[in-house]
Amino acid sequence: MKKMKRLMFLLTSVLTLSLVLSACGGGNKAANGGNAGDEASQGGNAPAEIKTVKILQLKTEIVEGLNELKVEFEKEHPNIKLEIQTVGGDYGTFLKTKFASGEEPDIFTNGGFKDMETWLDRMEDLSDQPWVNDLLPLAKEPMTLDGKVYGMAMNLEGFGFIYNKDLFEQAGITELPKTYSQLEEAAQKLEASGVTPFSNGYQEWWIIGNQGINPAFAQQPDPDAFIKGLNEGTESFTDNAKFQEWVKLIDLTVKYGNKNSLTTDYNTQVAEFANGKAAMMQQGNWAQLQIDQINPDLNLGVLPMPLGEDAELNDKLNVGVPANLVVNKNSPVKEEAKIFLNWYVTSDIGKEYIVKKFKFIPAFSTMEATVEDMGDIGAEVWNYAQAGKVNTLNAPKFPDGLAHEFASATQAHIAGKYDMNQMLDEFKVGWDTLK
Amino acid sequence: MSRKKRGAFLQQLVYTGPVSIFFILVILVPFAMGMYYSFTNWNGISGEVDWVGFENFRTIFMQDNAFRTAFWFTVRFTVASVILTNLVGFSLAYVLTRPLKGRNVLRTLFFMPNVIGGLLLGFIWQFIFVKGFATLGEITGLAFFQLPWLGDEPTGFWAIVIVFVWQSAGYLMVIYIASINNVSREVLEAASIDGASRWQVLRSIILPLIMPAVTVCLFLTISWSFKMFDLNLSLTKGGPFRSTESLALNIYVESFQNNKYGLGTAKALLFFIVVATVTLFQVRLTKSKEVEA
Repeated sequence: MKKMKRLMFLLTSVLTLSLVLSACGGGNKAANGGNAGDEASQGGNAPAEIKTVKILQLKTEIVEGLNELKVEFEKEHPNIKLEIQTVGGDYGTFLKTKFASGEEPDIFTNGGFKDMETWLDRMEDLSDQPWVNDLLPLAKEPMTLDGKVYGMAMNLEGFGFIYNKDLFEQAGITELPKTYSQLEEAAQKLEASGVTPFSNGYQEWWIIGNQGINPAFAQQPDPDAFIKGLNEGTESFTDNAKFQEWVKLIDLTVKYGNKNSLTTDYNTQVAEFANGKAAMMQQGNWAQLQIDQINPDLNLGVLPMPLGEDAELNDKLNVGVPANLVVNKNSPVKEEAKIFLNWYVTSDIGKEYIVKKFKFIPAFSTMEATVEDMGDIGAEVWNYAQAGKVNTLNAPKFPDGLAHEFASATQAHIAGKYDMNQMLDEFKVGWDTLK
Repeated sequence: MSRKKRGAFLQQLVYTGPVSIFFILVILVPFAMGMYYSFTNWNGISGEVDWVGFENFRTIFMQDNAFRTAFWFTVRFTVASVILTNLVGFSLAYVLTRPLKGRNVLRTLFFMPNVIGGLLLGFIWQFIFVKGFATLGEITGLAFFQLPWLGDEPTGFWAIVIVFVWQSAGYLMVIYIASINNVSREVLEAASIDGASRWQVLRSIILPLIMPAVTVCLFLTISWSFKMFDLNLSLTKGGPFRSTESLALNIYVESFQNNKYGLGTAKALLFFIVVATVTLFQVRLTKSKEVEA
């Protein structure tokens, strides 16, 4: 019996050991295979060390274009390899886990303002880069701190009420609404003509809390002072006329909007609009791609989001930088990363991709974009930006997580759970908890 | 140490060593680190970590309404889903241990949802609730389908319960089937000779004899539903207006969305204590009810 036990023990030990060893063996083989592949791809190139720049970015719509661009870049720079990873959705969480696990990307994206301050420890000062002076002032501001520039704006994005010109004409709207009451009038006409005036995607927190709320901040006499006042407790939302008018605007879109706006997500919202069932939606130029997939022949324009009755003050679109490329300060290949960023916005091919392929509204004065490149919505945003009729984005200046709080309080209002004052009180509670 | 003892020790080391190493690395070390972070104000990113003592716990108890709402939601959810899951699981098992045609096919079918990941299930069901139910409502005109599914508090809550029950009842069914099959034929036969009705057999013989399975199933469902995260994230994301936010999701939001990692880990620590206490208490209670034939 004892002998038997010993034998069993020996057997199991051997088995475990062989398992462990075989696992190691497999690993080695895989690694070797990888190397062999690399060597093959280098071909007969010089033996200089190949450096890999890892990029993590969040714009899912440009993945294909970026991969083509990567090939072009590597052709011109045989000693630098790019490794591009794109994560939409929960980008922030993903980035944090990457840093926590030590697999830090060399280039990543940042939202600017508050987000820049959060990540400041990790970002390389890029002020001395040749492209910095070509950045539009509007695009430089979010990544500037104490005179230093930390990031490269990827593009400009703008939003407001996108509208269907043909449906407006059909409803007999000759003059574009520039104030709240004009918008209400237009909505009534549209409804009378048999279309839903607004397609609302109020299930999405960002449509409300990140974007929709922007005019209410931007129309404060001094938005930055207002935000400072909120942080210090001297300002509040409840008695603020602009916020009360904004709540009225939300109520208007709900009253003249699609059914169940709280369960309508972005895709459904855009589909409803693109199919011609609804005449307006609060969205931005990024929606052009989806709209074109459903119905490329629509005549589109963008209306400002009016608060109250001042037509001139209201005639502005919300324009800002959605994301900035930044370089990891601790990256061993940060010089190579800078080479890529510079090439991306100064080489002819890089510029062409940004404008023609990604259909971005460029954030650089050195790039020219045409209406055909940007689409109807982009062109309208571009026109407003050129004319200086712009509300800059305030959401990046909010405390982390606050945009979600704005959205959930507003959703509760839409569901009839809070009246206007309760909702604006909730805003304040959220601000105080998260500041 | 005698030779024999050393041998036994070595043997145990070989068997449990690898598991222990991974357990320590993947569970214990992060747990200890989490405990440390729960006393700091770390934001999850910066290099600066300041010790703040019990400040985080004070915030949770004194100020954090969202945490309280999430806690209450989780408790309600746990009660509803534990009862329903076990009822459905047991009923399925009871029916499928009778001589039925297609019994095995049915068993497989009911078990299947358990094989699909929760995240995927959530997205599929979101489509069913929002699009499918709306269409059914238009066609049939039934009020049940015309509710604003996922759009208000009650439908959001019950939607998660429905999907959770649908997903986990199959698993419990398997446990209950195994247990019911183990009830000795002789006892059952004796009961039927004595003229016991079907209900009497179920209540006085089968139920007491499968108490060990009940213990396991209750334990599983309680800890599952307390920790429920993936369904919550994919079905409602805690919405509308944070009314369906579970504790696990609240912790996630606090740590990763609000960038308050210290506060998040403090909540996680409390969460651990609550789940551990509740399940320990439950196992004690149901264990005392177990009998032998």
